[in-house]
Amino acid sequence: MSPTPVYIICSPRPQVGKTLIGRLLSEFLLLKNGGVVSFDINLKEPSLLDYLPDITETADVIDTYGKMQLMDRVIVNDGVAKVIDLGYHAFDEFFKMCDEIGLMKEALRRSVAPVILFVADSDRASVRGYGTLQSLIPPNALAVVDNEFVVRGELPPVMARSHVLRFAALPVFLKTYIDRLNFSFTGYLRQERDTSTELHQWIRRSYTTFRDLELKMMLQRS
Amino acid sequence: MFAPKAGDGDLPIAPAIGGTVQGNSMAKPVVIVVGADKGGVGKTTVSRTLLDYFSANNVPTRAFDTESPRGTLMRFHPDITEIVDMTTTSDQMKIFDTLNAASPSVTVIDVRAGLLSPALASLRDIGFLDAAKSGQITFAVFHILGPSIASLDEIAETANFMVGAKYFLVKNFINDTQFFQWDQATYNSYFHRIKDATELTIPKLNEMAYEQVEVSSVPFLKFVANKGKEDEAANYSFVLRGYVRHWLANVWSEYDRIKLTDLVGGKSTTARGEK
Repeated sequence: MSPTPVYIICSPRPQVGKTLIGRLLSEFLLLKNGGVVSFDINLKEPSLLDYLPDITETADVIDTYGKMQLMDRVIVNDGVAKVIDLGYHAFDEFFKMCDEIGLMKEALRRSVAPVILFVADSDRASVRGYGTLQSLIPPNALAVVDNEFVVRGELPPVMARSHVLRFAALPVFLKTYIDRLNFSFTGYLRQERDTSTELHQWIRRSYTTFRDLELKMMLQRS
Repeated sequence: MFAPKAGDGDLPIAPAIGGTVQGNSMAKPVVIVVGADKGGVGKTTVSRTLLDYFSANNVPTRAFDTESPRGTLMRFHPDITEIVDMTTTSDQMKIFDTLNAASPSVTVIDVRAGLLSPALASLRDIGFLDAAKSGQITFAVFHILGPSIASLDEIAETANFMVGAKYFLVKNFINDTQFFQWDQATYNSYFHRIKDATELTIPKLNEMAYEQVEVSSVPFLKFVANKGKEDEAANYSFVLRGYVRHWLANVWSEYDRIKLTDLVGGKSTTARGEK
């Protein structure tokens, strides 16, 4: 049985597109594998739970009990991919906990494969946050998400040297469209006959990016 | 997909049987007293970490729990612990008259609250402290300190007995205290006054993790290894085990720093990895 992936989407900054990436990835994994469990650790931002209530659970890392509820579910090799949408307020506490409880080592032992997707921004908090991750996470389990809608230019050099997943900016009217709570990326792919639309191609490119990431991780493991 | 990093969360790995660390049957007896006159400062917790440390380093050890008639240490380490009443002559004989005869050369005594000073006075009266002074016995005292003036005031009194003994001042962080480090005059008046004392720091353990180990009634090592009392597979929280593993590694690094295995005649393991 191959290791169960756990994708942790994070940033120390609000409004950088974590939940958008979480939605995309969750829908991609649901489409590809037929199942996914997502965890929403957002109290102060638009929430994954609002978009994907059927596959999303809420969690918090404020106290030890909340950490147990989350991590004891996540660190299980049950073949069901997990997605954690980590709110910016929980960034420091979550990774401090990961360091203290030895998440990466235990994951290896239990055949679980954490993949940290750091949603980039060019401000100092993001650079510092990424530095923290580099000291805690092996490079092959850490990737940078370049959300063009947020970064609007070059990534900070320290992030540009990492494995980067690029997501092109959508026009504002399409951004508004996909931000509707009842919008489904996979649903759009299935319903929209015209494959040449910008949104259709954007979703396909995004799914391809995730597929490439999966392949890369699989090759590294083998 | 990733290689584990060597990190602070590692516990020293015990060597295989026949490895480098063995108790020396010819070594002189070692007595480690863990105590404080003040209660609730974590004496038994520190004793438990010591027993786990010696176990991981293959140092044969026996323990005495003076919390008679019900012993807390006994609950966690029943195989090697005996409950004694140190105020009685017969139980004092049970401990000290068997030092040379007992096969484990290391004896850990968990002295209950209020009994440290009387116990040390008794040891002086029976000539034990003189034996330690002359080098016949290795004697160490782990004086557990809590973050209160009442606790720190014990240092001067206890230090009077420490000629010939290794005296360890153990700052046990049972909460988020600073041990008065924000007030250097107060801090120095307690911690820099005793010349030959060695300071040790026991960090705070996550409260819920501590409680879970309490409920489980197993040594910290077994908890980390996810095992029950009889070595059966257990189902402790991964998060809580992680907290205990990280904390125990930090405690043991303090024991490594003071070369505790050298003190008891063993050799510390050098390989790092999880037991």
